[in-house]
Amino acid sequence: MVKNKQSQETETAIVVDEDEIAVTPEEDQAFKDLSDKLAEIRKDKDVIGYIIRNKTSATIDLDKPEKLVEYAIFSSQVLDSSQEISDQFELGDVENVLIEGKESKALCINIEGNKISIFIEKNADHADIIKQISP
Amino acid sequence: MSNEVYAFALKSTLDEIQNACPDVTSNFIFKDGKILAKDKNTEEENATQTINAFDAITERADTLGDVETITIQSAEGKVNITTTNDFYLTTVSSKEADEKYVNTLTRILIPIVIRLSEKIQPASVESEAITIDQPEPEEDDADEATEEAIDAEVPDETADEEIAEAEGNEAYPPEELEEETAATEPEEIEPVEPEIDTGPLLPEPPVTQLIVENLKGFRVPSDTVRVDEEVIQQWSELYGDNKINEVEVEALNGKTIRCKFKQIKNSKDAGKGIVKMPEKIQLTLETQQGELVTVKPIVE
Repeated sequence: MVKNKQSQETETAIVVDEDEIAVTPEEDQAFKDLSDKLAEIRKDKDVIGYIIRNKTSATIDLDKPEKLVEYAIFSSQVLDSSQEISDQFELGDVENVLIEGKESKALCINIEGNKISIFIEKNADHADIIKQISP
Repeated sequence: MSNEVYAFALKSTLDEIQNACPDVTSNFIFKDGKILAKDKNTEEENATQTINAFDAITERADTLGDVETITIQSAEGKVNITTTNDFYLTTVSSKEADEKYVNTLTRILIPIVIRLSEKIQPASVESEAITIDQPEPEEDDADEATEEAIDAEVPDETADEEIAEAEGNEAYPPEELEEETAATEPEEIEPVEPEIDTGPLLPEPPVTQLIVENLKGFRVPSDTVRVDEEVIQQWSELYGDNKINEVEVEALNGKTIRCKFKQIKNSKDAGKGIVKMPEKIQLTLETQQGELVTVKPIVE
């Protein structure tokens, strides 16, 4: 006699609060404005690429699209870990983070909920980019 | 220099940075995930959490190459984590802090202290090891007799050192030597820094300025310098029964080394204000023949 196997699957309910992810027209406009500025910055030969995302949208433009996942995870990690560090010393919200590596640099900026990461060559002027992107 | 003293040197430097610049609210140094030194205002918990967060970033930073510096600009201040000599220095400063001033303090002072500590540490460890392997040969007072013994082809380490000294002198014309040595007689300078000492109170070690002379030849101990008899006599008078086995030699560039010492045997070099130094020590100090160094006794 063959026993019937019964498997029990636990389903996790995902509750989505539409209000939480909804973007106001002002936020949407801010995202578009920043995207335009980034597109302009991207024309510089020292800019390797950028990622901009808010609660609902993301725009990515990279020299090496095959490394998209690496760049995306890195960007997310930088902003999260930087906020943790900032909280440790009670410094408030993180405005921007510059990470200088041996080969290149990354500039991560949080502007009104828009999380931006700009990847630039080591010799690029990051201060100038901050000026350009700041409201 | 033990690790404790090494950490103490770094901690003192961090505290001094904060004294000099009150806008630096916290600073600490870490390596391989461990806190090496922190200033008095930094909580260990905060430092540990920061190191963990920093590690999380560096683990994902393959796209940039090895991370050298992270600068976090927040609403109320700034955090800077920068690498110097395999160490990571974290500086937290308020928004009012003068960035250039803070950077000058931290990025210059800390690497200097680290470099100095590293230079001193291996030197003392090395000299200890050599002491075990090659015990100091006993020196007798009959220097002249020893020199004669060299002529009689007696294989003796002391004799070899005498040959080495002689060779070293031959390499340089006597007129030049006289000119150089006449220019700077040994002079006493005010003590630079007090030694940390828990024992009975001793006079501050005198710092003597001397001119470097080469010490060459086979079997010349690479960890020993030759100092003028007069200078050694001064130390003996000053410290009586206290043992002085080593000296601290400091070059003009600030590099220092602790090493053993002996008196110069060649009578014609006596009173000329010179210190005879093997090439290895000269290389460590980045000095050379004819340059000035200061010599300070290490009193035990």
